[in-house]
Amino acid sequence: MTGTEHAALALRGLVKQFDGKVAVAGVDLDVPAGSFFGLLGPNGAGKTTTLSMAVGLLRPDAGGAWVLGHDVWGDPVQAKRLFGVMPDGVRLFDRLTGAELLAYHGLLRGMDPTVVDQRATELLDVLALADADRTLVVDYSAGMKKKIGLACALLHGPRLLVLDEPFEAVDPVSAALIRDILHRYVGGGGTVVFSSHVMEVVERLCTHVAILAEGTIKRVGTLHDVRGDRSLEDVFVEVVGGRTATGEELAWLSR
Amino acid sequence: MAVEVTPVGSAGPLPPVGPPVAAPSPEPLRPVGAGHFVRLKLRVMRNNFRGQGWRIALYVVGALFALWFAVSGFFLFAAPGLADRSDFAVLAAAFGGGLLVLGWTLLPLVLFGVDETLDPARFALLPLTRRTLVTGMFAAALVGIPAVAALLATSGLVVTAWLLGGWSAGLVTAVGVVAGLLLCVAASRAVTSAFATMLRSRRIRDLAAILLAVLAALIGPLQIVVLAAVQRADWDQLAGVADVVGWTPFGAAYTAGIDLAQGRVWAAPVKLLITVLTIGALLWWWSRSLESAMVGAASGGTAAKRRQAAGTPVAQLFPRIAGWVRRDRFGALVAREARYWWRDARRRANLITIAVVGVFVPVMVNIGSQGLVGGEQDFSASPTTVTLSMVFVGVLASVTLANQFGFDGSAYAANVIAGVPGQVELRARAVAFSLYVVPLLVAISVIVAVVLREPAWIGVMAGSLFAAYGAGLAINVFVSILGAYALPETSNPFAVNSGAGVAKGLLTMVSMVASVGVTTPMVAATALLGGIWYWLALPVGLAYGFGAAVLGTYLAGDVLDRRMPELLTAVTPRR
Repeated sequence: MTGTEHAALALRGLVKQFDGKVAVAGVDLDVPAGSFFGLLGPNGAGKTTTLSMAVGLLRPDAGGAWVLGHDVWGDPVQAKRLFGVMPDGVRLFDRLTGAELLAYHGLLRGMDPTVVDQRATELLDVLALADADRTLVVDYSAGMKKKIGLACALLHGPRLLVLDEPFEAVDPVSAALIRDILHRYVGGGGTVVFSSHVMEVVERLCTHVAILAEGTIKRVGTLHDVRGDRSLEDVFVEVVGGRTATGEELAWLSR
Repeated sequence: MAVEVTPVGSAGPLPPVGPPVAAPSPEPLRPVGAGHFVRLKLRVMRNNFRGQGWRIALYVVGALFALWFAVSGFFLFAAPGLADRSDFAVLAAAFGGGLLVLGWTLLPLVLFGVDETLDPARFALLPLTRRTLVTGMFAAALVGIPAVAALLATSGLVVTAWLLGGWSAGLVTAVGVVAGLLLCVAASRAVTSAFATMLRSRRIRDLAAILLAVLAALIGPLQIVVLAAVQRADWDQLAGVADVVGWTPFGAAYTAGIDLAQGRVWAAPVKLLITVLTIGALLWWWSRSLESAMVGAASGGTAAKRRQAAGTPVAQLFPRIAGWVRRDRFGALVAREARYWWRDARRRANLITIAVVGVFVPVMVNIGSQGLVGGEQDFSASPTTVTLSMVFVGVLASVTLANQFGFDGSAYAANVIAGVPGQVELRARAVAFSLYVVPLLVAISVIVAVVLREPAWIGVMAGSLFAAYGAGLAINVFVSILGAYALPETSNPFAVNSGAGVAKGLLTMVSMVASVGVTTPMVAATALLGGIWYWLALPVGLAYGFGAAVLGTYLAGDVLDRRMPELLTAVTPRR
């Protein structure tokens, strides 16, 4: 495992099939420590499946994942201490209030209650969720749910953050707030891996990107390496192989 | 999850939606018939089975069970005709049919849940009239094993009526049997939908609890009457009751043809009219609550304000009932589970069921077989019958945990990511559930002892209750890990997916049998040991149940440690 000791997240030969349909077909990836890493891909490319296997939520058919040298599937207890996750399309324990949810996550991570209280209060303040004190998370708006999810992932001070679609369905104000927090986190020595299909966000934030399509990594490297002097969107569309409308079809739309 | 986007898209015959731009559509809108809904349901069922061998297997097993019940029912209903006993025909039609309707009305609330393959909320955005929606959902609800089985069983009455009164009576009975089935399905839909709406609103939940208790209580008196009548074998009295039942909506549909066979020609159309009116009223009732289910789900429900917000986040997490638990990982799990048993409508419905059934079953079994029957000696309650009924209640309480991870759904991912050790997880869940159930079981023991006027039996009762509960916990922690299945993400606490309904029933049965098996030493001790057992039963039962639960969570914890991701996949609704 030379080289993987230094990577914040290392994936080797990850494969997953669902009912005989290949979702992820052998993903190798090294996320350098201290990087802001964007995992790009069209819908259905296998981003969520890959990240789920990387953090121990979904058992891979083959391959493995290492966080700062700790085997996620061989030694989950050690590895899971080091990262925080915000999964997408996964419910939170949403019949708790925001404060209750944070307290739950903190204690679940084995943190000291006084530290949990202090950090949870601070996070609620910073993320502008303190006003929603009495509201159950199930009644939160989509943006608030993303924010409380991020707070849960940050609470125990992980060295690696894995975020699945953190900017999906988030309004510009909340998105700016989340960006600020993530910037500060990377500046303080943390590593962020996040998936997205929004080019602007990735270009603005990331130091490194990987493009995932049809279950394999098509391009990977620093942002500059991958896009060269073109726009990231051009590269992405070229790699993924999309098609553009000719204007012939859907004629009935312009009636 | 039930209705997925893909199957809907590929279903072909979809209700046409107007063009998105031009408001006055030049294209004619095709009318949406009930057939669309039936085809949609069949398509969704088929897609749910795709690549899920075990689901198909469960479905087949369920179908075989249903067939067996249906065939036995058919011959029971056909027997009076084959034996040429006109007097029995009324009894079979009124009581058999009435019990069927009652069962369809109440059992989904208490035991089985209702198949919500087509979630009404999915139709909220489509331009459908309420009439179209209700007829469509109703037609779709008729598709399924239970409906077919009920139809097959009751068609035995057609044979009876035909043999007794010729083809005209047979024909009327056939109409009645079909109408009866419609009544059954309409009743089950209307009642569960209404209850779901009520339980969603937190203000009305207490009222709902009382109503459910009253509904369940209706089973009691009926059972006493039937038992008493059977015991005395007073056929005149029984026939009188059957006549009365035959004029209620419960029996009207099934007795219409028999009346014709016995020469009361005028009664048949009146009874059919009663049935039709009842179906109409039920569908109307259903359509009201269906609408609120659609709107409620679409708007995400009312924003619930919590009253308490004082204190630090950790202090807020712990409810008063779990205030004594340590502030650590175990404590956090207990606190969250304790909150969830109260805040989650699905779980709360289960707690209410335990409370109601827990009091009624022992009282019914032991009083029904005691005094009210007419003081016959061979039916008096004994410590053994009490123990048996208590074992049933204890096992029933523990079976609630048979799909404990299914309640969480994908939210369970949080515990997987945090890497919670399996034993801590299972122990905490058992403790949190017991915070509610143990006081409930104590109350049940006291109430039953008071009602039966046998205070000396309280030790035996509580002992067997806790032994059964603990043994049941031990069995059900394994079932909950190995047999977990996803619950649909709807606000209807009674909803299960098609196929999962069969799975739920079978798993419940297996775990109940296993739990009862583990508890048999207690029953044997009650039957064999004499007076000394009155004093020993409580400590022995407590130790037995506690030991079983500890051992079960200890062993199952290792299984959970190895299967956490698989368990998460199993309880995550497919989208």
